[in-house]
Amino acid sequence: MQRVKNLGYDEDELYDNHDEYEQEDATAYTAEDKENFATLTPVIRAELDEAGVQVSDKDIEDALWHYYWDVGKSVSYLKNSRTPRLQQQSTEKSDKAKAKSKFDEAAERSAEKAVRTTMPPMFAADWFRNVSWTLVPSHVEGDLIPNEPVRPMPKLLGGSSKLAKLAEERRKKAATAAASQSESPAPNGSLSALERLSKPRDAKENEAPGPKVEPKKYPIRKKRDPTPPPREPTPPPPEPEEEKPDLRASPTAFGLALSTSPPCGLHPASMTLKDLLGSEVADDPFQGPSPDDTVLRAQQYSKGTPNKRRQSGVNGLAKKTEALKLNGTAASAPAQPKVRSRGLDVPKLWAEEKSRRKASAAFVVIGHVDHGKSTLMGRLLLDTGAVAQRDVDKYQKQATEMGKSSFALAWVMDTGTEERERGVTVDIAQHHFSTNSVDFTILDAPGHRDFVPNMIGGASMADMAVLVVDANQLESGMKGQTREHVLLAKAVGLKRIVVAVNKLDSTTPDAWSRSQFDGVKGEVLKFLRESGFAEQFVTVVPCSGLSGDNVAKAPKVSGPAAWVANTHPTLLKALEKSVIPDIDGATIRRPLRLQIADVFRGGVTNPVSVSGRISAGNAQTGDSVVVQPSGETATIKALEVNAEPCDYAFAGQICTLHLTDIDPIHLRTGDVVCAASHPVPVVKTFTAKIEALKSLLPQAMDVHLGRLHVAGGIKQLVSTVDSEGEVLKKKPRIVKAGQKAIVKVGVEDGVVVEVGDRVVLRAEGATVGFGVVDGTA
Amino acid sequence: MRLLKQNIEKKTGAGTATLLPEEPEDMWHAYNLIRPNDLLRASAVRKVVTESGSGSRSNERVHTMLTIRVTKLDFDPQAAQLHVSGRVAEENKVVKLGAFHTLDLELQRNFVLEKSEGWDSVALDMLKEAINQDAKAQLWAVIMKEGLANICLVTDHQTILRQRIETTLPRKRAGSTDHDKQLQKFFQITFDSLLRQIDLANPIPLLLASPAFTATQFQQFMKNQAASGNAKQLNGILAKTTVAQAASGHLHSLSEVLASPAVTSKLSDTKFARETQLVDRFFELMRKEDARAWYGPRECEHAVAQGAVGKGGGVLLISNGLFRSQEMEVRKRWVLLVDDVKGQGGEVRVLSSMHESGRRLESLGGIAVILTYPIEDLDELVGDGDEEDAPEMDQMNGDIARPNGVEGCVEHEDIDFL
Repeated sequence: MQRVKNLGYDEDELYDNHDEYEQEDATAYTAEDKENFATLTPVIRAELDEAGVQVSDKDIEDALWHYYWDVGKSVSYLKNSRTPRLQQQSTEKSDKAKAKSKFDEAAERSAEKAVRTTMPPMFAADWFRNVSWTLVPSHVEGDLIPNEPVRPMPKLLGGSSKLAKLAEERRKKAATAAASQSESPAPNGSLSALERLSKPRDAKENEAPGPKVEPKKYPIRKKRDPTPPPREPTPPPPEPEEEKPDLRASPTAFGLALSTSPPCGLHPASMTLKDLLGSEVADDPFQGPSPDDTVLRAQQYSKGTPNKRRQSGVNGLAKKTEALKLNGTAASAPAQPKVRSRGLDVPKLWAEEKSRRKASAAFVVIGHVDHGKSTLMGRLLLDTGAVAQRDVDKYQKQATEMGKSSFALAWVMDTGTEERERGVTVDIAQHHFSTNSVDFTILDAPGHRDFVPNMIGGASMADMAVLVVDANQLESGMKGQTREHVLLAKAVGLKRIVVAVNKLDSTTPDAWSRSQFDGVKGEVLKFLRESGFAEQFVTVVPCSGLSGDNVAKAPKVSGPAAWVANTHPTLLKALEKSVIPDIDGATIRRPLRLQIADVFRGGVTNPVSVSGRISAGNAQTGDSVVVQPSGETATIKALEVNAEPCDYAFAGQICTLHLTDIDPIHLRTGDVVCAASHPVPVVKTFTAKIEALKSLLPQAMDVHLGRLHVAGGIKQLVSTVDSEGEVLKKKPRIVKAGQKAIVKVGVEDGVVVEVGDRVVLRAEGATVGFGVVDGTA
Repeated sequence: MRLLKQNIEKKTGAGTATLLPEEPEDMWHAYNLIRPNDLLRASAVRKVVTESGSGSRSNERVHTMLTIRVTKLDFDPQAAQLHVSGRVAEENKVVKLGAFHTLDLELQRNFVLEKSEGWDSVALDMLKEAINQDAKAQLWAVIMKEGLANICLVTDHQTILRQRIETTLPRKRAGSTDHDKQLQKFFQITFDSLLRQIDLANPIPLLLASPAFTATQFQQFMKNQAASGNAKQLNGILAKTTVAQAASGHLHSLSEVLASPAVTSKLSDTKFARETQLVDRFFELMRKEDARAWYGPRECEHAVAQGAVGKGGGVLLISNGLFRSQEMEVRKRWVLLVDDVKGQGGEVRVLSSMHESGRRLESLGGIAVILTYPIEDLDELVGDGDEEDAPEMDQMNGDIARPNGVEGCVEHEDIDFL
């Protein structure tokens, strides 16, 4: 690159440089120079004193400088300079030297170049990574042979002039001198110092105009390379053998892009693009004729194009360049290259990383409407740093404008416009936060009875539940959704539950009333026990979401909540303690199952994205999947877990899959993404072992299977059973509340069900039964 | 439907009735009246192939009156079309006796019906109902939730699902307005579909029902559309729009919506209200495990035989799907049961299998009774009698397949509840 630049110099530029050079010379003595001055000046002064000549330090230094630290010469010069005649001569001499300095500069540079022309360390593969033309298929790969004659050594303008010859000689000398500088021992002390500076000083004496002005026959060379990167590798030009440079066509844009300067002395006999880039392209380039060749040959035969033309080097070059260009674009043309699987052994990776991986858990937040679920979660996110105070302040301002300032924290979770206007959570909100030991996913469920279907969907994705109970309004909740949610949490198979007794800062008559907390705690524990939750999996924590006491931080020791600190962990601690990893290797080795919780547009690059919890198996980039019940296939383009891109995901994780090769109309909430090798069958009826919460007749109902919410109903009451599964009565007339029964469930459209799935039946806005799928025949 | 002429003998039930269907709903009545083996006379277009002496053939379409003996009925509730297949029973100059023909009954073209076994009580009741000109309550109902809308026409006797709109809405997501945008799009699609269905010039009431506030939002959307001046006639409909709460967006939630006081006050559909009330009462008794409520064909027959469905609150709820049986014997069995109950002084309600209350009944086997006095373990009494005859309760599809060869409502599978 540098050389190209130099070649482009013309006279004006040289003179410009000359000025700069002068200034630099006058002022800049390097530290080394100064050291030399310091050591040599006294020596010279001593000699001059002997001869009785008085000179200033400045003169001595100048002399030294001009004689390149040669003490002897300097002394004789200084002695002579005392006589007027000699002084005149020396002035003349120095003027002469100065006048020549522009050539010095140029020659010096070119000399430097000659020495320095080693290739910079080249990692072309790095440099050209992700460039489309590195993907050229092997059969069209070009054979790039850099050719020496193409790049003639720099020449002087009108090569016959004596000056030019001299310059050439000097340059060569300088080059060899520089090359052998380190090896050749210095003849004496003063000379060694001189030697070190020989390069620039030699150049100064150089009278040659320098190899700057290049003949105009390569007009393109005059161009400066557009913004050359500092370590740009210099791949050889794409030109093949070329006998007559004069006839060459000017390099194409492609050639220019590949850059132009082959390093001196680096001419591999043959260098393919593959060698250059180190990519894994097959090593037989141009196995057959290139597409262009084929076409041209055909044209020649048909139209009788003169053979001469085919042999012409110029045309051949043009053609090949053209072919390279075309192939380059052709390789990058496919809009969505097939995603290649990396073939990871996910179960093995999972086992390997098991000990290192942070525990992770998803919990669903349940409870009656207005008991403060969203606010409590907003507080948790704020105090764990997952949400910035700045954002909460913004919400606070907006909420105050709408006259709902107490909803500010809830707005962290409630992002929908309807939700904010009405101050009620409508749909599950998903959020992530991390503590030192656990990665948590919050699934904030709506408490309103109209949105129980959404709550079921959220709970089906969770590992455990957080039950939020308003300490002041236990009764309303026990009649309403506190009860229903707890039953649904059990229905979807959750075992561990953390009860957050909320709003303790506003208990009456006095805040943080311990007796009130104990009363609520007793009631809730009793109910949970009746509902079938084991006592060791239940933790009760007093807290206040609005004030933030005992959520992530323990309350102040002095306040009314002081008693909490000694007796109860914070909500966050309780959550961390409840995390028990329950995914085993066998589940991960099973075929992939993921129920779609959301279908959305992940962005411009990911137009089709789905998210959900992997209930079994694993997924990795490039996996081919089937979406049931539509039966459409898709490919996983990318994966995200906790909003972080990753290569693979496994059972128990809530992840986002970016899909390709599928139309989003085939994706619905509640559909199941499964491994292409093991698609889940689609059925319209299945039998389930259910527990009735209300009396059941064969009737129409809403059937919930996780996120899936379809119309259907009980088709037939098969039998009532006892807790051991013994049949009590076949074909009962009615299944009474509290009884267990086997029923045949029908659904309107085909659904994806597997034995062991959880099913919830609802009618007229209330949960009437729940159970486990027994058979799908 | 108008009865133009009839010569039915009260005693034997023999005779014919000439009927003129006037509106789409009448096709439904005709579908319930016409049974296999009946004689049906109506105008037809028949392609007649004539062969001349020279052996050349010519096709001709001939308008003619044909009398056929019915073998199959095909009712399309969406288009309100009834196709009746059968064999020609009266020869004329274009058609030979025994040739097959399918009559397409048309509005404003009369037809003559003669019952093969005579007009029984149920058939006469149906005829009476069919020609009843008053109380033609109709309403459009949109039962919806976010991402799902069922547009249906509710008439006295049918609930016809005209269109179902299902879209996938992206969930809420911080920093994304996709959900709101898609919701508006969903409303737009629903609105456009609704406009295509309803007759703007002649508006009938519109009911919007959904859980939570989706219906309210949709009503607001319609108001905005009307205000923006896209459809001026929309105001006529908006004035007749009612918003109600539903438990879910699925069609089966419509029954409770229609039964809710907010809607019944606006709907003068007393027949439907009474039916819904009775079915509700029945379910209520079932839940309370009152031994006065029983369902299933054998149980009901047993109860009627014991005289438990009589004066003082005895009610027989029966779906008209049962009377559409292909087999004469089966139909006779139900007609007999109805006559029995009437004879005992009980109330008989023939519920439309195409109506919401009727569908709830269908899921119970199409027949239920409320007794005047409790009979405990009626099912076991029945079960003891004939073990192998125990009801196979696969009623959700209305296919009441029975060991004794009883088959009902097979021909209306496409309009089933499920």
